[in-house]
Amino acid sequence: MCGIAGIVRADPAHSVEEVALLRMARAIRHRGPDGFGLCLDPGAGLVSTRLAIVDLEHGWQPLVSSADGSVLVYNGEVYNHPELRTSMRSLGVEFSTQSDTEVVLSLLQRDGLAGLHRLNGQFAFAWWQPQRHRLTLARDRFGVRPLCYSCLEDGSLVFGSEAKALFASGEVRPSVDLAGIDQVFTLWAPQAPRTAFEGIQQLEPGGLLVWERGEVVEHRRWWKPGPDRHEAIDPDLGGLLRDSIRLRLRADVPVGAYLSGGLDSSLISALAQVQKRGALSTFSVAFEDPRYDERAHQEMVARAIGTSHHVVEVGSAEIAAVFPEVIRHAETPLVRTAPVPLFLLAREVRDRGLKVVATGEGADELFWGYDLFKEVAIRKLHQSDPGRALKLLGKLYPHLGSAGARRGPGWARFLLETGAVDDPLSSHLTRVGATGAVRAFYRDDVAAGLGPETALAPIRDGLPPGFGAWDELERAAWLEVTTLLEPYLLAAQGDRVAMAHGVEARYPFLDHRVYAHSVALPGEEKLSDVSDKIALRKLANDLLPAEIAERAKQPYRAPEVTPFFSPGSPGWVEDALSPAALTDVGIWDSRRVEGLLRRCRSSRATGVREGMALIGILSTQLWHEAFFASGGPYPAETAAPQVRIDRTVEQALGEVS
Amino acid sequence: MSATEDGLGEVRSGMRAFIEDNFLYLDPDADLADGQDLLAAGIVDSLGFVELVEEVESRYGVGVQDIEITEENFGSIDSIVRYVERKRAES
Repeated sequence: MCGIAGIVRADPAHSVEEVALLRMARAIRHRGPDGFGLCLDPGAGLVSTRLAIVDLEHGWQPLVSSADGSVLVYNGEVYNHPELRTSMRSLGVEFSTQSDTEVVLSLLQRDGLAGLHRLNGQFAFAWWQPQRHRLTLARDRFGVRPLCYSCLEDGSLVFGSEAKALFASGEVRPSVDLAGIDQVFTLWAPQAPRTAFEGIQQLEPGGLLVWERGEVVEHRRWWKPGPDRHEAIDPDLGGLLRDSIRLRLRADVPVGAYLSGGLDSSLISALAQVQKRGALSTFSVAFEDPRYDERAHQEMVARAIGTSHHVVEVGSAEIAAVFPEVIRHAETPLVRTAPVPLFLLAREVRDRGLKVVATGEGADELFWGYDLFKEVAIRKLHQSDPGRALKLLGKLYPHLGSAGARRGPGWARFLLETGAVDDPLSSHLTRVGATGAVRAFYRDDVAAGLGPETALAPIRDGLPPGFGAWDELERAAWLEVTTLLEPYLLAAQGDRVAMAHGVEARYPFLDHRVYAHSVALPGEEKLSDVSDKIALRKLANDLLPAEIAERAKQPYRAPEVTPFFSPGSPGWVEDALSPAALTDVGIWDSRRVEGLLRRCRSSRATGVREGMALIGILSTQLWHEAFFASGGPYPAETAAPQVRIDRTVEQALGEVS
Repeated sequence: MSATEDGLGEVRSGMRAFIEDNFLYLDPDADLADGQDLLAAGIVDSLGFVELVEEVESRYGVGVQDIEITEENFGSIDSIVRYVERKRAES
């Protein structure tokens, strides 16, 4: 739930203007359409926009601690808040609301940042301690909830759930970060701490930052993915998943589920339906184009588990119509249109009166479901048994053996021979290579400053100790979580498109206990030859039709070229890609782009790489338009706040017990 | 110029235009020689190579056997011209 933002000054005498907070609130009001609140302290201002899910009547923010006068603005959910409340009550802590916000604030006040490890949930928060003139920012383990910030020259820090809140503050101007953009065209998304904007950082998933009197005094990850020898592993995956879903159904509003028709979301929906005793609503995207459509499987699952099922049919026209809006919410260029149908699905959820959905993200990373993992295993096998490796590749991609027979050998070489096997990033170099096709369209002066390793160097620098000695598949899983799940799937394709409509997505597979289980699980219970997610399929056998439990993954994709190059496509496409517009933005070489557009117009641009190039170039142009050409001015919130705290120095400090 | 040479001239210019339009647009100032090795020069990759073969089939009505998809037949404009000439002679 919610959006948060704020400004803190090095000098307590330097006040924060209320109107700046009102502009910031307005900029992220889509995240919290139910109301907002603000706190003005000497040298600090915090604001929260609320999506009311827990303790609808009392859960308003900012929340002030009666113990020490510290203030919390908090975006997200801590699912185990009732257990934490009970535990703290037994130690004499008193609570005045049923909200998880109060539990988090009390825990922080009592245990400090060590308390973060007790939280099971998805959150980003800012905790203001006036007596130390200290602001602490923190983010959940996987970075489900976003949080970005900018440190200004005068020592001020401006933060917000989204960058647009920072721009609305009037203290931060948008500026292009070419290195951040280059990460999009290498790994699909900017990698924390980078964003696509220069001078704006995103707090790392599982990260915390402590700012005190104008200086960052602590900045580290309080949690990191990977094997954790200190984490107790529960061996009962079924029990863990049931408990994870039980916690994630906790809300004072109805919780629905996304249903793609694949194994993961079907399993989540089936388990949720059992716990909700038949009252679950499910939501699916169906595509006009049968190559992307999974409606037959979605309907099969909905019928089998008996949900109230809703479908949004998406075609090229719908994708093109909202693409600029999706980019404005994503705040980064993209290489795929796949976030767009999820934006439309969240709108449907909201129109049906729901605010919360459970969804299946994370299973493919934790239990090795993506084809990428199979490619890694086949590449490894290719070194010792090339014949069998080629056979498995044919089994994995049967379409390369029939209609696309001629493309088969080329693809096989591409998949089997890309990158050095001893490179720690080898599992991802195929993706890097394919995505890198977009980089070929850079203007020469842009390309000159961006080497082939520019985007990858921070990834290499951040690898865990001993990473090179890990099993190839374990390495691939770690890289998939840190370079794609967190920066892209949970962001542009997750939080941003759902919260655009005030819809909160919850991820049962990303319960840290489920993650720890998956990391400790022997590889053969995740992947064997080209059979994937073996442990999950065993669970699904008892809950889902056999066809779903055994179903091979269909990669989730949406049309890329046709929405923008078909009869009836919007006129702004050609405008955004005109030589003048390209020259104006200054990233893409207009002559090279013209060649690509020729292929798009003549329906020749059918390859994956050309699709990514078109979306990359077009989304960059739209992103620039949204934040540089017409980004401001940002209007102020005009509604009355539900909470308004305005304290003098004495009041802010006087509540210390 | 004989009728055959004239026809081959059309193949040469047609394939050059196709390659320039579809593969060389990323390098608009490149000077493409008829004998240039398209793969070695990085102009066409292994997937583009198949696109080239499909273009020869559809543009010139030539049936290309999978076994004929080699660099010797499709590695340069010159080799494509020779290949089309040979296929036409066979038919």
